[in-house]
Amino acid sequence: MKNKIPRLTFWRAIAALILAAGFYSFIIRYVQGLGEATDLSDKFPWGLWIGFDVLVGVGLAAGGFTISAIVHVFNIEKYEPISRPSLLTAFFGYILVGAAIFLDIGQSHRIWHPMVHWNPHSVMFEVSWCVMLYNTVLALEFSPLIFEKLNLNVPLKLIRKIYLPLVIAGVLLSTLHQSSLGTVYVIVPEKLHPLWYTPMLPVFFFISAITTGLAMTIFESFLSYRAFGKRLELNILTGLGKLLVVILGIYFVLRFQNLILRDSLKYAFQFTRQSTLFWGEIGIGMVLPIILFSISKVRENRIGLFFSALLVIIGFILNRLNVSITGMIHSETYFPTWMELSITFSFIVVAFTLFSLAVRYLDVFPEEEMDDAKGGLETGISWKFMVPLWSLMLIGFVVYSFAGKHEAAHKPTGQVDIVRSVDPISDPEFKNLPGDIVFSESEDSPAPVTFSHENHIYMLDEPGCAPCHPDRYSYKLDPLRRVNIGGEAMHTKKSCGFCHDGEAAFDVEEDCELCHPE
Amino acid sequence: MNSYAILTDLTKCIGCEACVYACKEINNLPRNDNGNKQLSAYTWTTIERRNGVNIRHQCMHCDDPACVSVCPVGALTKTASGAVTYAPDICFGCRYCLMACPFEIPKYQWDKTLPYMQKCILCYEKRLEDGKEPACTSVCPTGATIFGGKEELIEVARERIKEFPDRYVDHIYGEREAGGASVLYLTDVPFEKLGFKDLMKDQTYPKLTWRILTHIPNVVTTGAVTLFGIWWIINRRIQVEQESLHQDGGKSNHEK
Repeated sequence: MKNKIPRLTFWRAIAALILAAGFYSFIIRYVQGLGEATDLSDKFPWGLWIGFDVLVGVGLAAGGFTISAIVHVFNIEKYEPISRPSLLTAFFGYILVGAAIFLDIGQSHRIWHPMVHWNPHSVMFEVSWCVMLYNTVLALEFSPLIFEKLNLNVPLKLIRKIYLPLVIAGVLLSTLHQSSLGTVYVIVPEKLHPLWYTPMLPVFFFISAITTGLAMTIFESFLSYRAFGKRLELNILTGLGKLLVVILGIYFVLRFQNLILRDSLKYAFQFTRQSTLFWGEIGIGMVLPIILFSISKVRENRIGLFFSALLVIIGFILNRLNVSITGMIHSETYFPTWMELSITFSFIVVAFTLFSLAVRYLDVFPEEEMDDAKGGLETGISWKFMVPLWSLMLIGFVVYSFAGKHEAAHKPTGQVDIVRSVDPISDPEFKNLPGDIVFSESEDSPAPVTFSHENHIYMLDEPGCAPCHPDRYSYKLDPLRRVNIGGEAMHTKKSCGFCHDGEAAFDVEEDCELCHPE
Repeated sequence: MNSYAILTDLTKCIGCEACVYACKEINNLPRNDNGNKQLSAYTWTTIERRNGVNIRHQCMHCDDPACVSVCPVGALTKTASGAVTYAPDICFGCRYCLMACPFEIPKYQWDKTLPYMQKCILCYEKRLEDGKEPACTSVCPTGATIFGGKEELIEVARERIKEFPDRYVDHIYGEREAGGASVLYLTDVPFEKLGFKDLMKDQTYPKLTWRILTHIPNVVTTGAVTLFGIWWIINRRIQVEQESLHQDGGKSNHEK
């Protein structure tokens, strides 16, 4: 217990630093624009804020609908104690997802536009409506916690009455938008790497959201236990672990079946950054947790349970980042700036803060646990699981950067043999060059001047229009304004005289008859 | 209005960039886009030079455009004239159009505080509606890029291929790509060597997602009924169980 205070202070300092950086980035993003704050470009228009804050954020908040379905629809009351924490994560998660979208869209003040301007053909239109409605449902589901605190019995009773329809609406809305976030990427068959692209993406997004919802519930219960001394509902969480084995197993089989059917499994055996990330995702997020959760010793052990759940979460994060960032075309052009990262980290800090405040001031965990958990904290677990965790991450990082380099070295050089059957400039058939321009004779001129495009283009070292157009002779849309030079001015540096100076071409002041034939 | 189109014949393009500057002039775009020669928010058409071939890039104005289908606020519209137009006052800047466009055409004003998407809109408001052809085709000195009815231009292209079979590749790019587009290309060098994307033929991109979206009403109704059903069955079972337990004098301290 003693080392709890300095640890918290340390983390608080870190949190304050992150928030300060995040605030600075927030200012830059709104004062100087997205181009300044992010590494986004026309080639890579969606980055960390969509990939992590939105896609991962929505997935991590999936515990809300998963647990509430288990408790209220399937009536498995054993899980009742964890329904409120998971609901809380979902509620804060979605608020932050909304905030991320607000930051990411160019015209933040128009975030309400999908409510008025409809396009039912757009997946994102559907997602935005589902998320808006689900946020409302979550707020209502969450409201009893507030009403209880304020002793407002009338609204409390009202909410209790409509609680089941609310839960079912929440489950349906979640099903729709969790899967539709996958549908968002179904329209980019050429842009997303075949290891991830499939019309089945909505199904996979939905299943993986459930696994992550369950894993997050385990993860949170463990963190709350460490931070607030809440008793860990070990038998409940062990049950979730068993459930995870089944769902992860189904997910695993479907993913590989789909890859084989689409003839895309071969890409997994080519050594590229994508295949490395694919195996990382499968290994960390599916194979390892299936094995670990299947071993009853691990499943019934707090740290084993926590660690396995964490693997599911990391695998899930990898999956969403692979679909949205690393598996996308032109991903080599993008790496999040520190400003993007600081805002993302700020969101995480805010989420943790809100969660701990809610745990402190609202009855998130059942009351009896508050009492009997006091003093039951074990210390010294931190490095036991932190060492393997960090080393795993380090190995992952090294493999990742190595794989990235490997791919870069194998890039095609871009030179292809191009044999033309026609030269557009000289082609006699098409008479491609613009015709001659006759300049009328001015007062002192010995004779009218005819400018020949054909003569001039072959005088150049490299035939082309650029030496004169559009800088010297601008192209004008209006034919009347196109020829804007004539008379004496043609002898100056502004016009013919620029090249006809006696060096690049013959001098305008000599050989008059070359231009003024008589 | 007819459905219009643009036919760009790469064998005729001399790369003079008159189209590029006409586009800039009519759309009030900066002439010098920081030396950038690629498509950007400030360059809606451009000439890419690839080993002696001049390739004009611009919006393809697809028949069933991915950008129109993905826009959550419906800021993009495929008009009857063939042009895919944009309503900046509706756009909220999500950039899904940039993501979805298989030709990678829409660009974004990354340097602006309140950025918009930008792309060629076929001079829809400035010329098409007045019965004039787009600025770019109107200034082309060689007839490499021409404007006309879509059917007629496809006919023109077919005739050119027929007339000069050893000059042209027998492929009108844009006729079938992404389910058809209103900008067509002819070439003497195979398209794939020029960086033209090999996309789905005869099938449109919006169908990919629409097929899935149409399942939503089913999911909602079946889902709602199933969930209520499950709840009802389980709840009833528990009730029955409890009643029997109660009769046995068992522990039935369930109250809610």
